[in-house]
Amino acid sequence: MSIFTQNRSVRIFIGILVLFTLGVTVMSEAYGTGAISVSFTKVLGMTLCLCLAALAMDLVWGYCGILSLGHFAFFGLGGYGIGMWLMTARTEAVVRANLAGGVIPPTEAEVSQATALQIFSVVGAEDWPWMWAASDSLFLSLVLIVAVPGLLALVFGWLAFRSRVTGVYLSILTQAMTLALSLYLFQNDTGLRGNNGLSGLQNIPGAEAIGQDRISIWFFWASAVALGLAYVAAAWLISSKFGNIIRGIRDDEQRVRFLGYRVESYKLFVFTLTGILCGIAGALYYPQAGIINPDEIAPIASIYLAVWVAIGGRGRLYGAVIGAAVVSLLSTYFTGGRAPDIALGAFRIEWVDWWPVLLGLGFVLVTLFAPKGLGGLVDYVVRKDRA
Amino acid sequence: MHLLRRIAMSLAISVFLMAPAHAQDASLQDILQTHAEEIADPSRRTVGETLDALVATGHPDLPEFLTRWQSREAWQRDADGLFVYIEDEDADPLVLLDISTGETVGEAGSREVTQLRPNGGVRRVIGGALVQFQLGAEDPAARLDALEAIGNDPDESHLPLIEARLEVEEDPAIHARLDVLLPALLIAFAEDDADRVAAIQTLDGNVSLDARATLNRVLATRRFVGAELPADTNVAAILSPGTGPLPRDEAYAMLVSAELAPARISREDQRAVLAANVVEGRVGGVPVATLNTEAARDTAYAALVAEGLAEPIPTEADVDAALAAHVFFDAYSEPSSIVTEAARATLDNIETRVGAYRFFDLSLDGISLASIYFLAAIGLAITFGVMGVINMAHGEFIMIGAYTGYVVQTLIADYTLSIAVALPLAFLVTFALGVLMERSVIRWLYHRPLETLLATFGISIALQQIVRQIFGTQARPFTPPDWLAGSVTINDVISISSIRIAIFLLGVIFFIALWLILNRTRLGLEVRAVTQNPAMAASMGINPDRINMLTFGLGSGIAGIAGVAIGLFAQVVPDMGSNYIVQSFMTVVVGGVGNVFGTLVGASMIGGLQKSIEWFNPTNTLAAQTYMILFVILFIQFRPRGIIALRGRAAGD
Amino acid sequence: MKKLLLTSALALASANAASAEIRIGILHSLTGTMAISETTLRDVMLMLIEQQNAAGGLLGEEIVPVVVDPASDWPLFAERARELLTVHEVDVIFGAWTSVSRKSVLPVIEELNGLMFYPVQYEGEESSRNVFYTGAAPNQQAIPAVDYFLEELGVETFALLGTDYVYPRTTNRILEQYLLDAGIPQENIFVNYTPFGHSDWSSIVADVQALGEGGQQVGVISTINGDANIGFYNELAAAGIEADDIPVVAFSVGEEELAGLDTGPLVGHLAAWNYFQSADTPENEEFIAAWHEFIGDENRPTNDPMEAHYIGFNMWVQAVEATGTTDVDAVREAMYGLEVPNLTGGTAIMLPNHHLAKPVLIGEIEADGQFSIISQTDPVPGDAWTDFLPESAILVSDWPGLDCGMYNTETDTCVQIESNY
Repeated sequence: MSIFTQNRSVRIFIGILVLFTLGVTVMSEAYGTGAISVSFTKVLGMTLCLCLAALAMDLVWGYCGILSLGHFAFFGLGGYGIGMWLMTARTEAVVRANLAGGVIPPTEAEVSQATALQIFSVVGAEDWPWMWAASDSLFLSLVLIVAVPGLLALVFGWLAFRSRVTGVYLSILTQAMTLALSLYLFQNDTGLRGNNGLSGLQNIPGAEAIGQDRISIWFFWASAVALGLAYVAAAWLISSKFGNIIRGIRDDEQRVRFLGYRVESYKLFVFTLTGILCGIAGALYYPQAGIINPDEIAPIASIYLAVWVAIGGRGRLYGAVIGAAVVSLLSTYFTGGRAPDIALGAFRIEWVDWWPVLLGLGFVLVTLFAPKGLGGLVDYVVRKDRA
Repeated sequence: MHLLRRIAMSLAISVFLMAPAHAQDASLQDILQTHAEEIADPSRRTVGETLDALVATGHPDLPEFLTRWQSREAWQRDADGLFVYIEDEDADPLVLLDISTGETVGEAGSREVTQLRPNGGVRRVIGGALVQFQLGAEDPAARLDALEAIGNDPDESHLPLIEARLEVEEDPAIHARLDVLLPALLIAFAEDDADRVAAIQTLDGNVSLDARATLNRVLATRRFVGAELPADTNVAAILSPGTGPLPRDEAYAMLVSAELAPARISREDQRAVLAANVVEGRVGGVPVATLNTEAARDTAYAALVAEGLAEPIPTEADVDAALAAHVFFDAYSEPSSIVTEAARATLDNIETRVGAYRFFDLSLDGISLASIYFLAAIGLAITFGVMGVINMAHGEFIMIGAYTGYVVQTLIADYTLSIAVALPLAFLVTFALGVLMERSVIRWLYHRPLETLLATFGISIALQQIVRQIFGTQARPFTPPDWLAGSVTINDVISISSIRIAIFLLGVIFFIALWLILNRTRLGLEVRAVTQNPAMAASMGINPDRINMLTFGLGSGIAGIAGVAIGLFAQVVPDMGSNYIVQSFMTVVVGGVGNVFGTLVGASMIGGLQKSIEWFNPTNTLAAQTYMILFVILFIQFRPRGIIALRGRAAGD
Repeated sequence: MKKLLLTSALALASANAASAEIRIGILHSLTGTMAISETTLRDVMLMLIEQQNAAGGLLGEEIVPVVVDPASDWPLFAERARELLTVHEVDVIFGAWTSVSRKSVLPVIEELNGLMFYPVQYEGEESSRNVFYTGAAPNQQAIPAVDYFLEELGVETFALLGTDYVYPRTTNRILEQYLLDAGIPQENIFVNYTPFGHSDWSSIVADVQALGEGGQQVGVISTINGDANIGFYNELAAAGIEADDIPVVAFSVGEEELAGLDTGPLVGHLAAWNYFQSADTPENEEFIAAWHEFIGDENRPTNDPMEAHYIGFNMWVQAVEATGTTDVDAVREAMYGLEVPNLTGGTAIMLPNHHLAKPVLIGEIEADGQFSIISQTDPVPGDAWTDFLPESAILVSDWPGLDCGMYNTETDTCVQIESNY
């Protein structure tokens, strides 16, 4: 792993991540002092997953210049992938326990039918939709978590890049993609329980006896590991020749094409890879969130993803992570009712109400005055160091 | 019973009309008091008897009371149950009037009297009793009410009344209604089949709902099953099980419920039977623990059948044989086949026509939807299409336009005037906002188009939240004036609301105006020059800053006007803009960036497409939207520059 | 960045160190799309708590409300519920509006054995040990309304129009079966679903109008949610359809919704609820007066979910007073059979299936945005599992008797003790 020796920022990032993970563990309820509650552990774990998605967004936008406004669709697909397995396995266990109480032992068909009824009666169906075919196998579900977002990204990307849809047009097209997907999932009879989505995902089948305090920290670790690995892999990728080419595509697509590179293939590779990364992030995120429904992949979610990267500073990996972490944690803080209101005589400024305004104006200010984002501050510090 | 009641009523009414003086002995109040409970709290099913009793008295003040009762203008005093009218509902205290003399009988607070509130069903029954009096009334609305009542509950006694009325009626709307009602009554009550067929034929080509309803009533069918076709029934269709309208399972279920075949045993029933026959841990010799496969269960069940402990399961062959041995058919309730055939032919004829009209109506809806998309997108066609600025706050300009309309309406009571004020004001407000935004934010980002997207997105969420803070999350009422509230109705199939026509016209005006501005004015020339080559334009003496500012302001201002129009027909809420933003971008992109005509084509395509998908699957609007977007995504793959693609230098990069 | 995380973690932890007073968690969205409906419920809870404190508190302690904002974001409901129960250590939660948000909270509240009062009419098919449903089940709203259509208005052709989500879907499924059982043929039932906030109603209204060609009285059962109603009623009015021609009964249009719209086109159409502001009783008069004083606005309407919270809060207070503790299990046991006055006259009774017995009211919309009550039934016991769907008809919920919320009466087994989410 020469990437560690060559790249100081990777060393620093991994160092901070390890320290942070240890710190949270030491303060967790399950393995430490309990200073950090289970719910906050979950918030931190989910934030790490969002950081991972932002990292992917940074790769595709910050390094390859494709402003995708649809990457949260892949994130959601990953969540649905793991959610199907979680729901099926948990419900099947309940159903088996119940049917075992009958006089006659149940047939497999009866178990499957009763499980389907339990899951789908909420949308008025009783049969397994085709897309749940793999949901009884954890292994197949894990494959799907990678394969489905990957395949969607591949097909979409192939169509789009092949016909040279670029820039703003591509952004709008990706936005349309995620809108179409969320509208599709909103329909009750498409097999993924419509607006109900998949719920109860925090209960891990086979781990009923284990408390959420431990499950939450395990998922936190898993998210941290995924983020760490993805960071190292992304750093390696962009420091290679491949990284130079995609940066070249970002800066001047035509020139790279005239140099003889197959620009479309490079773009397609990055688009698909980041789609898969988002899928993995989603698969880790939703068991911590507990519920996924089509609202999650509404177009605005993907725009936020881009905004995090812009605020953190695109074109630098840690920038994406900083942006996602800062904005989402601040939002949690201000909308969670914990920030004290400011009384101005007769008028009270309630953070819950005014936070979106500040956030929106913040985007404008960052875009106008700090095009390099918060990550740009690091440059400033580092340069001062050396000076 | 029903018919008797009818006859009694018409008799009573003739008594009424001939001898009004006859029933003066008792006052109406006394008569009403004997039915006080039923009048105060009537039910649709029982009020008829009360009405019969009332009408039978032939009291001359009764029609007035019934009319008032029906329109909820009669009251009852709580203290003594006296029925009264009230002079002015808003007065305090209320002045109570006698129901016969109209004289003041006292005063009461609003809590001391109860309004008689017959529900819709009861009011229809009262309407039936009022037919006689209303049919000759001066007020056309009352006559129409009477015809409505007859239509709801036709009766033989109405036939001569309708015939007589048809002679003298002059109001065209009522005449049209009579033209349908007379055949309807003839079909229902004429003795001779030939008369009935003739009546049916007069309805030919009449697409009104009433005409179709009349014919459909004649053609009502019921489904039967039997060993063979009965001789005296008027059969509509013989059905073969397993095809089209009669699936195999449904057909067999009919046989089972008619007790013509044994029931099929479902897996659940089988399991229950097995569970009921467990003997020493075995069922039919099979150990219970092994009954977890269907094969094992079948074996055990067969053993039970052999022992006579269970019903045999009909095999598929048994089912087929049972189905083949019976006849399934739909039969008309109407016994005369001549009548049903004539009705069928006439209705088919009408339906063909209705189909064509319906297609036309849906096309109108499509055009209307397209014009809404066009209106929502046209501002964007300028800021995005011509200038290349991605304004994510475009939807919020629409929203602000709508709120401007709402605010103006709260200040100016006259709806027509308020809209006349709101349209230009919305333009000014959003024009100013647009200019402000362009000067403060966008002009710094012309060379970074993707970042405009982020900055304007920030503005969009800030604007949304600010409006939410000012006006609250609740939808605000923004009401069109009366002349825009109705609809243009050509017949019972084709109709379109006036507000949609207005939106369409507004779209056309915008299109023409913008086309003229961009292609025929100095400003348009300068805009096009600046967007194609700012440096060159600047060197020709055009001030690009000024042009950009004005163009962006123009686009925003148009979004504001569009907002007023959209707010009139949809809901005015802080996040209404986000409903239109993605669609608007798609409209512009599909149509082809850089010209207004493209946006028009794009909107027509998207609107038309969505309506045609709905035509195929009318119960799922969401699916239509999904497929429409998928189509757009695919379409852009094949025409990345949109339908109307600019060529050459004008296409820019 | 790390420092920031630590400080917010500490801020969280410090909230923990509170005294032993009684705490009530209020879990209603204050921002986002649901804020429009839920903010009012937060306010009404604050009012009820203030009144109770003014009357001496509960068990001699002061009641402290803990308000959090789940921001109309379903995963946040689970997160905030966990915070309320573990960090703020509340004794009971009043909250949630949409079914999705309730389903999001369920696993958390069952895991941590919390207690929640859910105040909104919903689709039924659920009974959790830890939730009391003070809103209407389908048989307390939809079925009586359909009976009214069948009996009183003589409707024979039905259009079931709804927004595409679980409440309309399940309600319409139940109603469809109910209508079929009542002898209405399948072809006389037209079902249509539209997305949230739908505004393009002209074709659907035309379809409904065309139903009249069967020659029968047409009626619309509307489970259309929220803002979409505006466009729908406007289009009905534009097409010249009045309540006498085609009556519409809505299950999601109440006083609060009417406040935001021009009621002109709606006059005469119907709504079915368990409460209307126009109910003429002394309790209601007092409640409305207190509400107007609390909120400082004479024009703020009261509505059905507010009454549900009123009943739920009073029941909980009674149960706590009866047991002398706020312990969840003790309070839960004490709840069954409790009776408190509702605002429309009579009393509401808590049933063993965690639902209420309440009267059903049908009201006609008036021009001033109020409803005139034209029908009021005797109290109807809420049914957790509907009798009109075969797979649900065999299920019952009886917590004190069977200790099970989903009990199969055919096989005599408890299908599951935790809820189906």
